[in-house]
Amino acid sequence: MMLPVQAPGVFTGGANVIAVLILLAEFGMFRQALLRDQVRLYMAQSALISVLAVIVAAARHIPDLYVLAAVSAALKVVTIPLLLRRLLKETDPAGAPAGGADIAGSGGLGLASTILLAIVVAAFGFFSASRLGIRAVAAPITALSVSVSVVLVAFVLMIHRRDVASQAIGLFSLENGISLAALVVAASLPLILEVALLFDLLLAVVVFGLLIRQHHGRARSMSTADLTRLRG
Amino acid sequence: MSVIAALLLIIPFAAALAASAAPARAAQAISAVAGLASFGLVLALIPDASGRGATYFGFVRVDALSVVFLLATSFLYAAVAVYSIGYLRNGRDQEAFFTGYVRRFCLGLNLFAWSMLAAPLMSNLALLWVAVEVTTVISALLVAIEGTDHAAEAAWKYILIASAGLSLALLGTIFMYYAGAQVLGQHYSMAFAPLLHAAGHLPVTPVRMAFVLAVLGFGTKVGLFPVHTWLPDAHSEAPTPVSALLSGSLLAVSFYAILRYYQVAVGALGPRFPRDVLLVFGVASLLLAALYLLDQRDYKRLLAYSSVEHMGILAIGVSFGAPVALAGVLLHVLAHAAAKGNAFMGSGVLLRKFGSKEISAVRGGLDLLPWSGPLFLAAILALCAMPPFGIFRSEFEIVTGGLAASRNLPAVILVVGVTVAFLGLALAANRMLLTPARQVNPVRQADLARQAAPAHLTRGEPSAWMVVPLAVGLVALLVLGLHPPGELTGLLARAVAQLGSPA
Amino acid sequence: MSAALPIPVIQLFQVLTIALAAPGISGVIAKVEARLQGRRGPRVLQPYYDLAKLFRKEALAPEGASWVFLAAPLAAFTCYLTVPLLIPVLTTYGLPLGYMGDILGGGFILSLASFLVAVAALETSSPYAQLGASRAKTFAAITEPVVLFVVFTVGLITGTDLPYALAATVRSSAGQIIRPAHVLAAAALFMVILYETGRIPVETHTGTNEFGMIEEARPFEHSGPYFALLRWGSAAKQLILYTILINVFVAPWGLAASAQAGAVLLAIVALLAKACVLGVVVATIDNSFAKLRLFKITEFASAAFLLAVLGVFTLYLGGG
Repeated sequence: MMLPVQAPGVFTGGANVIAVLILLAEFGMFRQALLRDQVRLYMAQSALISVLAVIVAAARHIPDLYVLAAVSAALKVVTIPLLLRRLLKETDPAGAPAGGADIAGSGGLGLASTILLAIVVAAFGFFSASRLGIRAVAAPITALSVSVSVVLVAFVLMIHRRDVASQAIGLFSLENGISLAALVVAASLPLILEVALLFDLLLAVVVFGLLIRQHHGRARSMSTADLTRLRG
Repeated sequence: MSVIAALLLIIPFAAALAASAAPARAAQAISAVAGLASFGLVLALIPDASGRGATYFGFVRVDALSVVFLLATSFLYAAVAVYSIGYLRNGRDQEAFFTGYVRRFCLGLNLFAWSMLAAPLMSNLALLWVAVEVTTVISALLVAIEGTDHAAEAAWKYILIASAGLSLALLGTIFMYYAGAQVLGQHYSMAFAPLLHAAGHLPVTPVRMAFVLAVLGFGTKVGLFPVHTWLPDAHSEAPTPVSALLSGSLLAVSFYAILRYYQVAVGALGPRFPRDVLLVFGVASLLLAALYLLDQRDYKRLLAYSSVEHMGILAIGVSFGAPVALAGVLLHVLAHAAAKGNAFMGSGVLLRKFGSKEISAVRGGLDLLPWSGPLFLAAILALCAMPPFGIFRSEFEIVTGGLAASRNLPAVILVVGVTVAFLGLALAANRMLLTPARQVNPVRQADLARQAAPAHLTRGEPSAWMVVPLAVGLVALLVLGLHPPGELTGLLARAVAQLGSPA
Repeated sequence: MSAALPIPVIQLFQVLTIALAAPGISGVIAKVEARLQGRRGPRVLQPYYDLAKLFRKEALAPEGASWVFLAAPLAAFTCYLTVPLLIPVLTTYGLPLGYMGDILGGGFILSLASFLVAVAALETSSPYAQLGASRAKTFAAITEPVVLFVVFTVGLITGTDLPYALAATVRSSAGQIIRPAHVLAAAALFMVILYETGRIPVETHTGTNEFGMIEEARPFEHSGPYFALLRWGSAAKQLILYTILINVFVAPWGLAASAQAGAVLLAIVALLAKACVLGVVVATIDNSFAKLRLFKITEFASAAFLLAVLGVFTLYLGGG
């Protein structure tokens, strides 16, 4: 007869729930066809990370994390989605609704098969991360497995998507996964370095926006279907 | 030395800002001056760069290893800045458009060089990652600056794959932070020197994870197989001065990042595991690149695959571990920068002259280009590891080191790979340069129509500004191959000592 | 009143509560939904009157239908009345017949009932009934594994697979409620409930929309008392599933800890109140979302599957 599994504490359980919600947001991105909705999911995911940072800061008494949560929220929940939405508005196809929503192209595999693949990949991430023998410092250790799963599922998302904006949003959600991993093992990284990382992300977003605008300016669409000229 | 380091960080940035507002010629002149000044500053750093390293301002660190890579970067910065005066002069019509283009180009070039000079100067691993990421975004904009379809595609692939790879490297950095935090306490900055001191006590599994992720992640930017797929596109579609910097310096700077992780990994895990990982990636890159070199139609893509090959050689050389092999690796970094820079600059002359990037469209290079033709040929021969050029010396040292460390099979594979690559490069060079000049293939009329006049048929150089850096590069290659100056050899010895033993 | 009720009486009350209250819960949901839409809506007890009317009507069977067609509604209803014996409806302690089957057995019995109804529908040669039956079984191929995974989660958390044990575990500490496995399993079960009871976003509960009907189509050919039994059976299934969700996962409080008559009465009231609250939630969802197109229901079921699988994964890592 199996022994019952010990209940985690409230903090651990709550933090793990938030981490799993982040993973579910990542899966949710597969489902969303409209770019506008993908940006909203990204906002939700980033907000969850900030919330988790605040919870970890309160439970583990790391004051730096409050500042980090605020800066991260300001950047990833407000600024970056604003930039993305402005980009979507500008690259609006003629006659489409004013929300700037271009329908994302879908990839080679059907959606259901891709989600199955993503589940397998997430399982791999889960169990391989748990074998690392890493002691949780701030957030609970299950969150580390979740973060590795988020990174791997984000890779599958980037491969599955066939338009540049979705690929870019997939990359940003990958970075969210890494932020989650940082919350688990590197929560005490000096604040200045964390802020440097965040501003670097902002710079990357700006450059991505420029390149997407350029792509749209020539191809009149967001699709990557014609990005196959260079071969060999 | 702190003043020199500070100037190294300030001058290219200031030049970028100045060039973005100046008229076209002034912008180019500013860039050239900044490049030459940077090179001079790095030369001044050589005598004092020690194996111990010195830290300034809390985040800048200068030691022998970083000065080697600074040397490679600044040399190419200077050469390319002068070269682009000639490169950008031709082939553009409207004045206003040209001025805008030159301003953007010089802004990008100087910022790119600034970020590549900053990366080896960073004293902690997190800032190193930030610097490499900055190089990625700036170079992606530069790849796309031409505005053609191919350039945009190459830039998008580059930034997507490189950013994904760097995200993996960030994950590796985080794991390394975790490993260090177990020994150094929670609030340490990831400064390199303390981490290396404590390397022997770091927990094994996180460091292993961190090293593999770093090789995979930074290896994306180095161009190691299998994450090299962006490299041929980006390096061939970028404007030629940018291609030279990308191949000659950026790959090296990314390899520098791997070397830093290698140092810590060797201290924590012992030499076997890191060397095996690097060997696998190196051999795969070398063999793949050598095979692809046999079947190229575009000469800039040819040179890009040659870069993949040489990065594989670097990884194999580090995996050998013997001091002479490590000395060969560092010399190879310098020699490859000079040779690849020369090759790309020569290819830029070919592009300006013949108007096409196809190998089949270029005929009679030696006849039509009295100066850059032979110089380009010499650069290709240097890339094939011909004596008396520097790459021959460095590869010879690497193979010697491999045999000394009893890694016979990898050494043999190295030689075979280099030979196959030589075949590919020599065939292409032969077709382009040593055949008599003739009427170009009618298929390429469409390309001709885009250029102004059929200047490709007349004998003569497009611009003297493009020849001088080529000649200087050749001299550098000869110096490195025949008799490296004593100061340089001393610097390399100190850097090898750093790599060979902890702290 | 502090008379102790004999145990068999309590067991009988379990079955009776479910059987008698089930149509009432349906009525409550219909009323709330109408109110949310700005209508007055039918009276809460309307389903009882409907059942009474149906019992008085004549029963017809299609030509070629065998005894299965007539036996299925009764058999299904019997199954639906068996399950309340196994799950914690009124009490926190296990009742004697409650050890007849564990939660896996309960799940199987529910599937058996669904299967019997589907077979009866296939017996007719009516296109609508067959349509509903085939759709129901197709989607059941995805939702049944979800139920299994939810059951596994229960088993992994408590070390047994008795629903009573899980209810006790959940009551024991706040940490048990907030752990991801529990939350995920509850969410997955809720999505399965929406599917099984035929609510938005799976199908429109009111009316027979042939493009989308699944549950509604299966009893298409039955009439009279048989139809009444099928209706009653589905309402009972709804209340049973609600009871499992509430008393095992979400809010296992208010159950009688002793055999006192007062406690049992309080438990009945508490159960019905909680079921009504859940019904309000379902009605709100009904009014807030649109029905999914038929081929998108697989995505809905896959999402439930994903939640259940993640719940099991997080448990295996020991922290969930």
